[in-house]
Amino acid sequence: MSFYKEFTKGLWNELPPFRLLLGLCPVLAITKTAQNGLGMGLAVLFVLVLSNMIVSMVRGIIPKKVRIACFIIIAATLVVAVELLMQAYAYPLYQQLGIFVPLIVVNCIILGRAEAFAAKNPVNLAIADGLGMGLGFTLSLTFLGSVREILGAGSIFGVKLFGESFEPFTMMVEAPGAFICLGVILAFMNHLTKMQNRKRGLSSDKAGNGCTVCGGCTACERGKASA
Amino acid sequence: MKSIIKMVSVLSVLCAVAGFVLSYLKISTVTPIENQLLKYVQGPAILNVFKDVDTSPLEQRKSFIVGDGKKINVFPAIKDGKLFGVAIEGFGQGFGGDIGVMVGFNIVDDTLVNIDVTTHKETPGLGSQISNERFKKQFAGKPYAVALKSQGGEIDAISGATVSSNGTVLAINDAGNQYKTLKEEIIKTWNSGAKNEFLQGIHQRAVE
Repeated sequence: MSFYKEFTKGLWNELPPFRLLLGLCPVLAITKTAQNGLGMGLAVLFVLVLSNMIVSMVRGIIPKKVRIACFIIIAATLVVAVELLMQAYAYPLYQQLGIFVPLIVVNCIILGRAEAFAAKNPVNLAIADGLGMGLGFTLSLTFLGSVREILGAGSIFGVKLFGESFEPFTMMVEAPGAFICLGVILAFMNHLTKMQNRKRGLSSDKAGNGCTVCGGCTACERGKASA
Repeated sequence: MKSIIKMVSVLSVLCAVAGFVLSYLKISTVTPIENQLLKYVQGPAILNVFKDVDTSPLEQRKSFIVGDGKKINVFPAIKDGKLFGVAIEGFGQGFGGDIGVMVGFNIVDDTLVNIDVTTHKETPGLGSQISNERFKKQFAGKPYAVALKSQGGEIDAISGATVSSNGTVLAINDAGNQYKTLKEEIIKTWNSGAKNEFLQGIHQRAVE
């Protein structure tokens, strides 16, 4: 269980939105542009690393029965801090993200990582886990945001890519576009896992669904039992 | 029993620390947030209200302290070296919270030049229509004390969004009251001439 291993698992094997399917509400709602995705991702990264760190530091003194309440207080404090700092130094981003910043408190990634990982591991590994997961989340959001922005507005990070003749595919920046994009990405990821498993000689039926695709074994009791 | 005491004390200490950190952050971000609001919310609204001005109302703004110690920002509109209007932001209770409206007053005949909605939390598609041009343009040229038609005034409320329309009117009247109390001071502060520039300097120093 090295620092490196905990860091990299969030980048592919346990990529939060596309593998664990956690935190889908902001993933779908705010990825209208690449910039929004990046901003939201960075806010989550900041909260996640600090909450993992603090939860791991106080894990010895928190009584088991009130641990969820404690985790939520920590996450909520950090989120309000992010909200204030964003208002003070990046107001246009704050206007764009709106209600989704305060909603980071109830983002299941934050509580999920605190409960499944930070509360059971030393501080350095908890930070690695937070960094990896946060970065994975940020990259996923930026990727989804880029795809939707390119198709729906013909630009990326606000820079126009195509000439005047490009007719934007407006549906992609609306809610249905988010679902379609996410579905296509998930299908692609599942197909990739299936192919990999077939190469390794695992049965392809099993690879189609269940544990092998999820990959979130450390967050799952069933996965641990079978592993 | 022992575990209960431990739970209560851990939670209390955690909450106390959280509260302390947040109140410190809240206090230290007040000024930057105010500046960002001026730049991204009030600035564009003022330019919508006064389209034809020489100097930036934002840079020329002054704060006045009214009766109960409240600080009011006043944005002057100066054309050809002469003050012709001021903008003041007012707030009124709408359906989903306070509605903020930037109101431009004509200093010569006390009418409204134009208005623009700065902040609101009204229902999208219904109450949010208060920021539509169709609703806003009704106010231009009216005497500064406005009222809805249902209350004997001249403003058409948005159908299905009476509370939001009324909130906007309340916000305008709030700014109107501010304007009424401050009018003499405003004219004193920004009237043209070297003497006033001198006074302006003193005022600015006093405010800062």
